[in-house]
Amino acid sequence: MTMTTAHAHTLDIINLNIALPRGQRLLRNVSLQLEPGEVRALVGESGAGKSMIGKAVLGILPHRIKRTEGEILLEGAHLNVMTPATRRNTVAKMSALIPQDPLTALNPVRKIGPQITDPLTRIHGWSHQRALARARELLDRVHIRAPDRVMHSYPHELSGGMRQRILIAAAFAPSPRLIVADEPTTALDVTVQKQILRLIRELQRETGTAVLFVTHDMGVVAKISQKVTVLFAGRVIEDAATRTVFENPAHPYTQALIAATPTPNVSAEPFQPVPAALITELHRETLAADALYAQRGRR
Amino acid sequence: MNQMTHPAPPALFSIRDLRLSFADRAHKPLFGPAPRVEVLKGLSLDIPEGRITGIVGESGSGKSTFGRILVRLLAPESGQVLFDGKDIGALDEAALRPLRRDLQMIFQDPMSSLNPRHRVWRIIAQPMKRYGRGGDRAAAITALEKVGLSGQFADRYPHELSGGQRQRVGIARAIALEPRFILADEIVSGLDVSSQAQVLSLLADLARDMGLTLAFISHDLSVIRHLCDTVVVLHHGEIVDQGPVEDVFEHPRSAITKSLLSAIPRPEMDESWWDDMSEPA
Repeated sequence: MTMTTAHAHTLDIINLNIALPRGQRLLRNVSLQLEPGEVRALVGESGAGKSMIGKAVLGILPHRIKRTEGEILLEGAHLNVMTPATRRNTVAKMSALIPQDPLTALNPVRKIGPQITDPLTRIHGWSHQRALARARELLDRVHIRAPDRVMHSYPHELSGGMRQRILIAAAFAPSPRLIVADEPTTALDVTVQKQILRLIRELQRETGTAVLFVTHDMGVVAKISQKVTVLFAGRVIEDAATRTVFENPAHPYTQALIAATPTPNVSAEPFQPVPAALITELHRETLAADALYAQRGRR
Repeated sequence: MNQMTHPAPPALFSIRDLRLSFADRAHKPLFGPAPRVEVLKGLSLDIPEGRITGIVGESGSGKSTFGRILVRLLAPESGQVLFDGKDIGALDEAALRPLRRDLQMIFQDPMSSLNPRHRVWRIIAQPMKRYGRGGDRAAAITALEKVGLSGQFADRYPHELSGGQRQRVGIARAIALEPRFILADEIVSGLDVSSQAQVLSLLADLARDMGLTLAFISHDLSVIRHLCDTVVVLHHGEIVDQGPVEDVFEHPRSAITKSLLSAIPRPEMDESWWDDMSEPA
Protein backbone atom coordinates (compact mmCIF):
# COMPACT_ATOMS: atom_id res chain seq x y z
CA MET A 1 0.00 0.00 0.00
CA THR A 2 2.74 2.45 0.84
CA MET A 3 4.66 1.76 -2.39
CA THR A 4 5.56 4.81 -4.45
CA THR A 5 4.32 4.72 -8.02
CA ALA A 6 6.28 6.22 -10.90
CA HIS A 7 3.87 8.99 -11.82
CA ALA A 8 2.62 9.92 -8.38
CA HIS A 9 1.37 13.39 -7.56
CA THR A 10 3.43 15.12 -4.90
CA LEU A 11 0.21 15.45 -2.93
CA ASP A 12 -3.08 13.78 -3.70
CA ILE A 13 -6.06 14.48 -1.48
CA ILE A 14 -9.10 12.38 -2.35
CA ASN A 15 -12.55 13.11 -0.98
CA LEU A 16 -11.26 14.26 2.40
CA ASN A 17 -13.76 14.82 5.22
CA ILE A 18 -12.71 16.20 8.59
CA ALA A 19 -15.18 16.52 11.45
CA LEU A 20 -15.65 17.51 15.08
CA PRO A 21 -16.59 14.69 17.53
CA ARG A 22 -20.32 15.43 17.18
CA GLY A 23 -20.05 14.93 13.43
CA GLN A 24 -20.04 18.60 12.39
CA ARG A 25 -17.95 18.57 9.20
CA LEU A 26 -15.12 21.10 8.75
CA LEU A 27 -13.96 19.77 5.37
CA ARG A 28 -16.53 18.44 2.94
CA ASN A 29 -15.37 16.03 0.22
CA VAL A 30 -12.21 17.97 -0.55
CA SER A 31 -10.07 16.68 -3.41
CA LEU A 32 -6.96 18.34 -4.81
CA GLN A 33 -3.64 17.45 -6.39
CA LEU A 34 -0.25 19.07 -6.29
CA GLU A 35 2.39 18.30 -8.93
CA PRO A 36 6.15 18.49 -8.35
CA GLY A 37 7.42 22.07 -8.39
CA GLU A 38 3.92 23.55 -8.39
CA VAL A 39 2.50 26.25 -6.11
CA ARG A 40 -1.16 25.77 -5.33
CA ALA A 41 -3.00 28.49 -3.40
CA LEU A 42 -5.73 27.54 -0.94
CA VAL A 43 -7.90 30.60 -0.61
CA GLY A 44 -11.03 31.44 1.31
CA GLU A 45 -12.38 33.55 4.16
CA SER A 46 -11.85 32.67 7.82
CA GLY A 47 -13.56 29.41 8.69
CA ALA A 48 -13.36 28.11 5.11
CA GLY A 49 -11.10 25.26 6.24
CA LYS A 50 -8.01 26.28 4.27
CA SER A 51 -5.56 25.86 7.17
CA MET A 52 -7.32 22.62 8.15
CA ILE A 53 -6.27 21.01 4.85
CA GLY A 54 -2.60 21.82 5.52
CA LYS A 55 -2.90 20.50 9.07
CA ALA A 56 -4.55 17.30 7.90
CA VAL A 57 -1.69 16.69 5.46
CA LEU A 58 0.98 17.29 8.10
CA GLY A 59 -0.93 15.24 10.68
CA ILE A 60 -1.21 18.14 13.11
CA LEU A 61 -5.00 18.46 13.33
CA PRO A 62 -6.19 19.93 16.65
CA HIS A 63 -7.21 17.47 19.35
CA ARG A 64 -10.65 15.95 18.76
CA ILE A 65 -10.79 16.98 15.10
CA LYS A 66 -10.60 13.77 13.09
CA ARG A 67 -10.51 12.57 9.50
CA THR A 68 -13.78 10.71 8.95
CA GLU A 69 -13.34 9.80 5.31
CA GLY A 70 -10.95 10.19 2.40
CA GLU A 71 -7.32 9.60 1.53
CA ILE A 72 -4.16 11.66 1.66
CA LEU A 73 -1.26 10.47 -0.50
CA LEU A 74 2.19 11.99 -0.23
CA GLU A 75 4.39 10.99 -3.19
CA GLY A 76 1.99 8.14 -3.79
CA ALA A 77 2.20 6.81 -0.24
CA HIS A 78 -1.10 6.40 1.61
CA LEU A 79 -0.64 8.30 4.85
CA ASN A 80 -3.86 6.98 6.41
CA VAL A 81 -2.87 3.31 6.45
CA MET A 82 0.46 3.95 8.21
CA THR A 83 1.10 3.52 11.90
CA PRO A 84 1.33 6.92 13.64
CA ALA A 85 5.10 6.59 13.99
CA THR A 86 5.67 5.68 10.33
CA ARG A 87 3.36 8.45 9.28
CA ARG A 88 5.17 11.03 11.40
CA ASN A 89 8.48 9.91 10.00
CA THR A 90 7.28 9.94 6.37
CA VAL A 91 5.70 13.39 6.72
CA ALA A 92 8.77 14.80 8.48
CA LYS A 93 11.09 13.47 5.77
CA MET A 94 9.08 14.64 2.81
CA SER A 95 7.46 17.87 3.94
CA ALA A 96 7.89 21.04 5.97
CA LEU A 97 5.75 23.87 7.30
CA ILE A 98 6.20 27.62 7.03
CA PRO A 99 3.86 28.92 9.75
CA GLN A 100 2.06 32.24 10.03
CA ASP A 101 3.61 33.31 13.30
CA PRO A 102 7.37 32.72 13.39
CA LEU A 103 7.64 33.62 17.07
CA THR A 104 5.46 30.75 18.27
CA ALA A 105 7.09 28.35 15.80
CA LEU A 106 10.58 28.96 17.15
CA ASN A 107 11.63 27.71 20.58
CA PRO A 108 12.31 30.88 22.60
CA VAL A 109 14.99 29.33 24.83
CA ARG A 110 17.09 27.70 22.08
CA LYS A 111 19.53 29.33 19.72
CA ILE A 112 18.56 29.60 16.05
CA GLY A 113 21.38 27.34 14.76
CA PRO A 114 20.32 24.05 16.38
CA GLN A 115 16.68 24.79 15.55
CA ILE A 116 17.64 24.63 11.86
CA THR A 117 20.20 21.81 12.04
CA ASP A 118 18.41 19.43 14.46
CA PRO A 119 15.79 18.24 11.96
CA LEU A 120 18.53 17.74 9.36
CA THR A 121 20.60 15.50 11.60
CA ARG A 122 17.78 13.73 13.43
CA ILE A 123 15.20 13.22 10.70
CA HIS A 124 17.32 13.25 7.58
CA GLY A 125 20.35 11.59 9.15
CA TRP A 126 22.84 14.18 7.97
CA SER A 127 26.20 14.68 9.68
CA HIS A 128 26.47 17.72 11.90
CA GLN A 129 29.00 19.27 9.50
CA ARG A 130 26.74 18.83 6.51
CA ALA A 131 23.72 20.23 8.40
CA LEU A 132 25.70 23.24 9.56
CA ALA A 133 26.99 23.97 6.06
CA ARG A 134 23.47 23.69 4.63
CA ALA A 135 22.06 25.99 7.35
CA ARG A 136 24.73 28.59 6.52
CA GLU A 137 24.04 28.27 2.82
CA LEU A 138 20.28 28.72 3.24
CA LEU A 139 20.58 31.63 5.69
CA ASP A 140 22.82 33.35 3.17
CA ARG A 141 20.26 32.52 0.49
CA VAL A 142 17.48 34.31 2.43
CA HIS A 143 19.76 37.36 2.77
CA ILE A 144 20.74 36.94 6.41
CA ARG A 145 23.97 38.95 6.45
CA ALA A 146 25.88 37.28 9.28
CA PRO A 147 24.68 33.64 9.34
CA ASP A 148 27.05 32.58 12.11
CA ARG A 149 26.06 35.41 14.39
CA VAL A 150 22.35 34.78 13.74
CA MET A 151 22.74 31.07 14.45
CA HIS A 152 24.05 32.02 17.87
CA SER A 153 21.10 34.36 18.54
CA TYR A 154 17.82 33.67 20.27
CA PRO A 155 14.52 34.28 18.43
CA HIS A 156 13.61 37.38 20.49
CA GLU A 157 16.81 39.12 19.37
CA LEU A 158 15.64 39.18 15.73
CA SER A 159 12.98 41.17 13.86
CA GLY A 160 9.73 39.61 12.62
CA GLY A 161 10.82 39.67 8.98
CA MET A 162 14.14 38.06 9.92
CA ARG A 163 12.45 35.28 11.91
CA GLN A 164 10.16 34.53 8.96
CA ARG A 165 13.20 34.33 6.65
CA ILE A 166 14.87 31.91 9.08
CA LEU A 167 11.81 29.64 9.05
CA ILE A 168 11.83 29.71 5.26
CA ALA A 169 15.51 28.71 5.30
CA ALA A 170 14.75 25.90 7.78
CA ALA A 171 11.82 24.63 5.71
CA PHE A 172 13.77 24.52 2.44
CA ALA A 173 17.05 23.23 3.95
CA PRO A 174 16.32 19.49 3.39
CA SER A 175 14.81 20.24 -0.09
CA PRO A 176 11.49 18.64 0.87
CA ARG A 177 8.99 17.43 -1.75
CA LEU A 178 6.20 19.50 -0.20
CA ILE A 179 5.99 22.68 1.83
CA VAL A 180 2.79 23.84 3.49
CA ALA A 181 2.95 27.64 3.82
CA ASP A 182 0.16 28.68 6.20
CA GLU A 183 -0.48 32.43 5.72
CA PRO A 184 3.27 33.11 5.94
CA THR A 185 3.00 36.83 5.13
CA THR A 186 -0.26 37.82 6.81
CA ALA A 187 1.35 39.57 9.78
CA LEU A 188 3.92 41.43 7.68
CA ASP A 189 4.09 44.87 6.04
CA VAL A 190 3.63 44.91 2.25
CA THR A 191 7.28 45.57 1.46
CA VAL A 192 8.46 42.75 3.75
CA GLN A 193 5.68 40.54 2.37
CA LYS A 194 7.05 41.03 -1.13
CA GLN A 195 10.57 40.04 -0.01
CA ILE A 196 9.23 36.89 1.65
CA LEU A 197 7.11 35.93 -1.37
CA ARG A 198 10.13 36.45 -3.61
CA LEU A 199 12.27 34.16 -1.41
CA ILE A 200 9.63 31.43 -1.36
CA ARG A 201 9.29 31.65 -5.14
CA GLU A 202 13.04 31.55 -5.80
CA LEU A 203 13.78 28.68 -3.41
CA GLN A 204 10.76 26.72 -4.57
CA ARG A 205 11.97 26.98 -8.17
CA GLU A 206 15.53 25.99 -7.26
CA THR A 207 14.59 22.97 -5.15
CA GLY A 208 11.58 21.85 -7.21
CA THR A 209 9.52 21.75 -4.02
CA ALA A 210 5.74 21.82 -4.37
CA VAL A 211 4.04 24.42 -2.17
CA LEU A 212 0.56 24.40 -0.70
CA PHE A 213 0.13 28.13 -0.05
CA VAL A 214 -2.69 28.99 2.36
CA THR A 215 -3.84 32.62 2.13
CA HIS A 216 -6.92 34.82 2.32
CA ASP A 217 -5.45 37.43 -0.05
CA MET A 218 -6.43 37.15 -3.71
CA GLY A 219 -3.59 39.57 -4.55
CA VAL A 220 -1.03 37.14 -3.10
CA VAL A 221 -2.75 34.25 -4.93
CA ALA A 222 -2.31 36.05 -8.26
CA LYS A 223 1.42 36.56 -7.69
CA ILE A 224 2.63 33.32 -6.11
CA SER A 225 0.53 30.43 -7.46
CA GLN A 226 -0.03 28.49 -10.67
CA LYS A 227 -3.14 26.70 -9.42
CA VAL A 228 -5.93 27.80 -7.05
CA THR A 229 -8.42 26.00 -4.85
CA VAL A 230 -11.18 28.33 -3.64
CA LEU A 231 -12.90 27.15 -0.47
CA PHE A 232 -16.14 28.08 1.26
CA ALA A 233 -17.35 26.36 4.44
CA GLY A 234 -14.97 23.45 3.88
CA ARG A 235 -16.12 22.87 0.31
CA VAL A 236 -14.11 23.30 -2.89
CA ILE A 237 -15.92 26.02 -4.82
CA GLU A 238 -13.49 26.31 -7.69
CA ASP A 239 -10.27 24.52 -8.69
CA ALA A 240 -8.44 25.95 -11.68
CA ALA A 241 -5.25 27.43 -13.08
CA THR A 242 -4.51 30.81 -11.49
CA ARG A 243 -4.64 32.56 -14.86
CA THR A 244 -8.10 31.14 -15.52
CA VAL A 245 -9.32 32.17 -12.08
CA PHE A 246 -8.33 35.79 -12.59
CA GLU A 247 -9.13 36.17 -16.27
CA ASN A 248 -12.23 34.04 -16.41
CA PRO A 249 -13.45 32.98 -12.95
CA ALA A 250 -16.15 30.31 -13.25
CA HIS A 251 -17.88 30.65 -9.87
CA PRO A 252 -19.64 33.83 -8.73
CA TYR A 253 -18.04 33.43 -5.27
CA THR A 254 -14.56 33.53 -6.81
CA GLN A 255 -15.58 36.63 -8.75
CA ALA A 256 -16.90 38.21 -5.55
CA LEU A 257 -13.69 37.46 -3.62
CA ILE A 258 -11.61 39.11 -6.34
CA ALA A 259 -13.95 42.13 -6.43
CA ALA A 260 -13.81 42.50 -2.63
CA THR A 261 -9.99 42.68 -2.60
CA PRO A 262 -9.02 46.33 -2.22
CA THR A 263 -6.54 47.77 -4.71
CA PRO A 264 -4.98 51.23 -4.92
CA ASN A 265 -6.58 51.65 -8.38
CA VAL A 266 -9.31 54.23 -8.79
CA SER A 267 -12.65 52.53 -9.26
CA ALA A 268 -16.28 53.55 -9.25
CA GLU A 269 -17.34 50.99 -6.63
CA PRO A 270 -14.48 50.65 -4.15
CA PHE A 271 -15.96 48.51 -1.37
CA GLN A 272 -17.74 45.45 -2.71
CA PRO A 273 -18.62 42.88 -0.07
CA VAL A 274 -19.59 39.37 -1.19
CA PRO A 275 -23.35 39.73 -1.91
CA ALA A 276 -25.49 38.43 0.98
CA ALA A 277 -27.71 36.49 -1.44
CA LEU A 278 -24.68 34.58 -2.72
CA ILE A 279 -23.59 33.70 0.85
CA THR A 280 -27.12 32.50 1.64
CA GLU A 281 -27.13 30.35 -1.49
CA LEU A 282 -23.72 28.86 -0.62
CA HIS A 283 -24.87 28.03 2.92
CA ARG A 284 -28.03 26.44 1.51
CA GLU A 285 -25.87 24.25 -0.75
CA THR A 286 -23.69 23.31 2.21
CA LEU A 287 -26.71 22.26 4.28
CA ALA A 288 -28.06 20.21 1.37
CA ALA A 289 -24.68 18.50 0.96
CA ASP A 290 -24.55 17.73 4.70
CA ALA A 291 -28.08 16.27 4.66
CA LEU A 292 -27.13 14.03 1.76
CA TYR A 293 -23.92 12.99 3.49
CA ALA A 294 -25.75 12.12 6.71
CA GLN A 295 -28.35 10.11 4.79
CA ARG A 296 -25.65 8.15 2.99
CA GLY A 297 -23.92 7.48 6.31
CA ARG A 298 -27.08 5.97 7.82
CA ARG A 299 -27.56 3.56 4.95
CA MET B 1 -15.61 60.32 0.26
CA ASN B 2 -13.15 62.34 -1.80
CA GLN B 3 -14.27 65.93 -1.60
CA MET B 4 -11.17 67.68 -2.81
CA THR B 5 -13.09 69.77 -5.32
CA HIS B 6 -14.35 71.91 -2.44
CA PRO B 7 -12.15 74.58 -0.87
CA ALA B 8 -9.98 73.37 2.00
CA PRO B 9 -11.99 73.22 5.23
CA PRO B 10 -10.64 74.70 8.48
CA ALA B 11 -8.23 72.55 10.44
CA LEU B 12 -9.61 70.78 13.52
CA PHE B 13 -6.10 69.78 14.56
CA SER B 14 -3.02 71.88 13.92
CA ILE B 15 0.14 70.01 14.80
CA ARG B 16 3.52 71.69 14.81
CA ASP B 17 6.91 70.09 15.41
CA LEU B 18 5.48 67.23 17.46
CA ARG B 19 8.16 65.15 19.15
CA LEU B 20 8.15 62.10 21.34
CA SER B 21 10.85 59.73 22.56
CA PHE B 22 10.86 56.73 24.85
CA ALA B 23 13.60 55.54 27.19
CA ASP B 24 15.22 52.44 25.70
CA ARG B 25 15.46 50.29 28.84
CA ALA B 26 16.97 47.37 26.91
CA HIS B 27 20.12 49.43 26.35
CA LYS B 28 20.28 51.17 29.69
CA PRO B 29 23.83 51.26 31.05
CA LEU B 30 24.39 50.06 34.61
CA PHE B 31 24.75 53.67 35.79
CA GLY B 32 23.16 56.71 34.24
CA PRO B 33 19.99 57.19 32.23
CA ALA B 34 18.76 54.89 29.48
CA PRO B 35 19.28 56.17 25.93
CA ARG B 36 16.24 57.74 24.23
CA VAL B 37 14.57 56.31 21.13
CA GLU B 38 12.93 59.00 19.05
CA VAL B 39 9.51 57.79 17.95
CA LEU B 40 8.14 61.01 16.47
CA LYS B 41 10.68 63.39 15.00
CA GLY B 42 8.97 66.76 14.58
CA LEU B 43 5.65 66.17 12.81
CA SER B 44 3.76 69.16 11.40
CA LEU B 45 0.38 68.76 9.77
CA ASP B 46 -3.25 69.89 9.81
CA ILE B 47 -6.23 67.59 10.14
CA PRO B 48 -9.14 69.23 8.30
CA GLU B 49 -12.59 69.30 9.87
CA GLY B 50 -15.26 67.08 8.33
CA ARG B 51 -12.78 65.03 6.31
CA ILE B 52 -11.09 61.64 6.60
CA THR B 53 -7.33 61.81 7.04
CA GLY B 54 -5.38 58.65 6.36
CA ILE B 55 -2.26 57.92 8.38
CA VAL B 56 -0.21 55.22 6.74
CA GLY B 57 3.16 53.62 7.38
CA GLU B 58 4.88 50.33 8.13
CA SER B 59 5.14 48.83 11.59
CA GLY B 60 7.43 50.99 13.69
CA SER B 61 6.67 54.12 11.67
CA GLY B 62 5.04 55.80 14.69
CA LYS B 63 1.53 55.96 13.24
CA SER B 64 -0.24 54.47 16.27
CA THR B 65 1.83 56.54 18.70
CA PHE B 66 0.86 59.65 16.75
CA GLY B 67 -2.80 58.63 16.87
CA ARG B 68 -2.64 58.14 20.60
CA ILE B 69 -1.37 61.69 21.03
CA LEU B 70 -4.31 63.03 18.99
CA VAL B 71 -6.78 61.48 21.44
CA ARG B 72 -4.41 62.31 24.30
CA LEU B 73 -3.85 58.78 25.53
CA LEU B 74 -0.21 59.86 25.30
CA ALA B 75 1.27 63.31 25.92
CA PRO B 76 3.77 64.79 23.50
CA GLU B 77 7.27 65.62 24.68
CA SER B 78 7.42 68.89 22.80
CA GLY B 79 5.61 70.73 20.03
CA GLN B 80 2.06 71.96 19.60
CA VAL B 81 -1.13 69.95 19.34
CA LEU B 82 -3.82 72.55 18.68
CA PHE B 83 -7.32 71.07 18.86
CA ASP B 84 -9.87 73.66 17.81
CA GLY B 85 -7.30 76.36 18.60
CA LYS B 86 -6.44 75.06 22.05
CA ASP B 87 -3.10 73.38 22.79
CA ILE B 88 -4.14 70.04 24.33
CA GLY B 89 -0.60 68.69 24.37
CA ALA B 90 0.28 70.09 27.78
CA LEU B 91 -3.11 69.75 29.54
CA ASP B 92 -3.33 67.55 32.60
CA GLU B 93 -6.02 64.90 33.11
CA ALA B 94 -8.41 67.27 34.91
CA ALA B 95 -8.16 69.87 32.16
CA LEU B 96 -8.64 67.17 29.51
CA ARG B 97 -11.81 65.80 31.08
CA PRO B 98 -14.23 68.21 29.37
CA LEU B 99 -12.59 67.33 26.03
CA ARG B 100 -12.69 63.55 26.39
CA ARG B 101 -16.10 63.11 24.83
CA ASP B 102 -14.92 64.96 21.73
CA LEU B 103 -11.90 62.70 21.22
CA GLN B 104 -13.13 59.18 20.57
CA MET B 105 -11.38 56.09 19.37
CA ILE B 106 -12.24 52.85 17.58
CA PHE B 107 -9.80 50.04 18.33
CA GLN B 108 -8.15 47.37 16.20
CA ASP B 109 -9.25 44.42 18.30
CA PRO B 110 -12.91 44.61 19.36
CA MET B 111 -12.58 41.50 21.52
CA SER B 112 -10.31 43.40 23.87
CA SER B 113 -12.04 46.78 23.60
CA LEU B 114 -15.66 45.66 24.13
CA ASN B 115 -16.51 44.44 27.62
CA PRO B 116 -17.21 40.70 27.19
CA ARG B 117 -19.62 40.64 30.14
CA HIS B 118 -21.84 43.44 28.94
CA ARG B 119 -24.63 43.24 26.42
CA VAL B 120 -24.17 45.31 23.27
CA TRP B 121 -26.68 48.00 24.26
CA ARG B 122 -24.91 48.57 27.57
CA ILE B 123 -21.51 48.82 25.86
CA ILE B 124 -22.93 51.69 23.81
CA ALA B 125 -25.10 53.29 26.50
CA GLN B 126 -22.56 53.37 29.33
CA PRO B 127 -20.27 56.07 27.89
CA MET B 128 -23.35 58.09 26.85
CA LYS B 129 -24.53 58.09 30.46
CA ARG B 130 -21.02 58.89 31.64
CA TYR B 131 -20.93 62.01 29.47
CA GLY B 132 -24.51 63.03 30.31
CA ARG B 133 -25.95 62.33 26.88
CA GLY B 134 -28.87 60.10 27.78
CA GLY B 135 -27.80 56.51 27.56
CA ASP B 136 -30.94 54.44 27.75
CA ARG B 137 -31.59 51.29 25.75
CA ALA B 138 -33.53 53.15 23.07
CA ALA B 139 -30.66 55.56 22.44
CA ALA B 140 -28.26 52.61 22.12
CA ILE B 141 -30.57 50.95 19.62
CA THR B 142 -30.71 54.16 17.58
CA ALA B 143 -26.90 54.13 17.42
CA LEU B 144 -26.89 50.43 16.47
CA GLU B 145 -29.31 51.10 13.63
CA LYS B 146 -27.01 53.81 12.29
CA VAL B 147 -24.30 51.17 11.83
CA GLY B 148 -26.68 48.77 10.12
CA LEU B 149 -27.37 46.46 13.06
CA SER B 150 -31.03 45.95 13.97
CA GLY B 151 -32.38 46.20 17.50
CA GLN B 152 -32.16 42.42 17.93
CA PHE B 153 -28.41 42.81 18.45
CA ALA B 154 -28.94 44.98 21.54
CA ASP B 155 -29.12 42.03 23.93
CA ARG B 156 -26.25 40.02 22.51
CA TYR B 157 -22.79 39.69 24.01
CA PRO B 158 -19.65 40.53 21.99
CA HIS B 159 -18.68 36.85 21.60
CA GLU B 160 -21.99 36.19 19.88
CA LEU B 161 -21.13 38.58 17.07
CA SER B 162 -18.97 38.18 13.97
CA GLY B 163 -15.78 40.23 13.63
CA GLY B 164 -17.45 42.73 11.31
CA GLN B 165 -20.46 43.13 13.64
CA ARG B 166 -18.17 43.72 16.63
CA GLN B 167 -16.35 46.44 14.74
CA ARG B 168 -19.73 48.03 13.97
CA VAL B 169 -20.51 48.07 17.68
CA GLY B 170 -17.20 49.88 18.22
CA ILE B 171 -18.22 52.44 15.60
CA ALA B 172 -21.69 52.80 17.15
CA ARG B 173 -20.18 53.44 20.59
CA ALA B 174 -17.98 56.20 19.17
CA ILE B 175 -20.59 57.99 17.05
CA ALA B 176 -23.27 57.79 19.77
CA LEU B 177 -21.28 60.38 21.72
CA GLU B 178 -21.31 62.78 18.74
CA PRO B 179 -17.61 63.53 19.18
CA ARG B 180 -15.79 66.15 17.15
CA PHE B 181 -13.01 63.71 16.29
CA ILE B 182 -12.73 59.94 15.91
CA LEU B 183 -9.50 57.99 15.65
CA ALA B 184 -9.77 54.60 13.92
CA ASP B 185 -6.62 52.53 14.44
CA GLU B 186 -6.32 49.57 12.00
CA ILE B 187 -10.00 48.81 12.50
CA VAL B 188 -10.35 46.48 9.49
CA SER B 189 -7.01 44.69 9.48
CA GLY B 190 -8.38 41.68 11.38
CA LEU B 191 -11.36 41.20 9.08
CA ASP B 192 -11.97 39.13 5.95
CA VAL B 193 -12.08 41.13 2.72
CA SER B 194 -15.84 40.88 2.55
CA SER B 195 -16.55 42.19 6.07
CA GLN B 196 -13.76 44.70 5.51
CA ALA B 197 -15.64 46.07 2.50
CA GLN B 198 -18.86 46.27 4.53
CA VAL B 199 -17.27 48.13 7.44
CA LEU B 200 -15.45 50.54 5.14
CA SER B 201 -18.49 51.42 3.06
CA LEU B 202 -20.44 51.96 6.29
CA LEU B 203 -17.71 54.25 7.61
CA ALA B 204 -17.60 56.19 4.32
CA ASP B 205 -21.40 56.67 4.42
CA LEU B 206 -21.43 57.73 8.10
CA ALA B 207 -18.57 60.17 7.56
CA ARG B 208 -20.40 61.78 4.64
CA ASP B 209 -23.82 61.89 6.32
CA MET B 210 -22.65 63.03 9.76
CA GLY B 211 -19.72 65.17 8.61
CA LEU B 212 -17.33 63.23 10.83
CA THR B 213 -13.71 64.25 11.28
CA LEU B 214 -11.82 60.98 11.18
CA ALA B 215 -8.19 59.94 11.35
CA PHE B 216 -7.85 56.49 9.83
CA ILE B 217 -4.64 54.65 10.68
CA SER B 218 -3.76 51.77 8.39
CA HIS B 219 -0.84 49.93 6.85
CA ASP B 220 -3.00 49.25 3.80
CA LEU B 221 -2.69 51.88 1.09
CA SER B 222 -5.52 50.37 -0.95
CA VAL B 223 -7.97 51.02 1.87
CA ILE B 224 -6.65 54.56 2.44
CA ARG B 225 -6.97 55.31 -1.28
CA HIS B 226 -10.69 54.66 -1.32
CA LEU B 227 -11.72 55.91 2.09
CA CYS B 228 -9.66 59.02 2.79
CA ASP B 229 -9.58 62.58 1.51
CA THR B 230 -6.03 63.37 2.56
CA VAL B 231 -3.15 61.13 3.55
CA VAL B 232 0.03 61.36 5.61
CA VAL B 233 2.79 58.80 5.02
CA LEU B 234 4.99 58.17 8.06
CA HIS B 235 8.38 56.48 8.06
CA HIS B 236 10.59 56.15 11.14
CA GLY B 237 8.68 58.94 12.87
CA GLU B 238 8.85 61.44 10.03
CA ILE B 239 6.35 62.58 7.42
CA VAL B 240 7.67 61.51 4.02
CA ASP B 241 4.59 62.38 1.96
CA GLN B 242 1.33 64.21 2.55
CA GLY B 243 -1.53 65.75 0.64
CA PRO B 244 -4.82 64.91 -1.05
CA VAL B 245 -5.00 61.15 -1.72
CA GLU B 246 -5.13 61.61 -5.51
CA ASP B 247 -1.92 63.64 -5.49
CA VAL B 248 0.00 61.32 -3.20
CA PHE B 249 -1.10 58.16 -5.03
CA GLU B 250 -0.70 59.50 -8.56
CA HIS B 251 2.51 61.44 -7.91
CA PRO B 252 4.23 60.03 -4.82
CA ARG B 253 7.23 62.20 -3.98
CA SER B 254 8.99 59.90 -1.55
CA ALA B 255 10.70 56.61 -2.43
CA ILE B 256 9.01 55.14 0.64
CA THR B 257 5.53 55.84 -0.74
CA LYS B 258 6.54 54.49 -4.13
CA SER B 259 7.85 51.22 -2.68
CA LEU B 260 4.75 50.85 -0.47
CA LEU B 261 2.54 51.28 -3.54
CA SER B 262 4.53 48.97 -5.81
CA ALA B 263 4.68 46.19 -3.20
CA ILE B 264 0.89 45.80 -3.10
CA PRO B 265 -0.05 42.53 -4.78
CA ARG B 266 -3.05 43.34 -6.95
CA PRO B 267 -5.56 40.59 -7.72
CA GLU B 268 -4.62 40.37 -11.40
CA MET B 269 -2.11 38.46 -13.51
CA ASP B 270 0.94 40.68 -13.83
CA GLU B 271 4.40 39.13 -13.98
CA SER B 272 6.01 42.58 -14.06
CA TRP B 273 5.16 42.96 -10.35
CA TRP B 274 8.21 40.78 -9.63
CA ASP B 275 10.54 42.92 -11.77
CA ASP B 276 10.47 45.93 -9.50
CA MET B 277 13.50 45.47 -7.27
CA SER B 278 13.13 48.76 -5.40
CA GLU B 279 12.64 47.06 -2.06
CA PRO B 280 14.26 48.46 1.03
CA ALA B 281 16.64 45.94 2.55
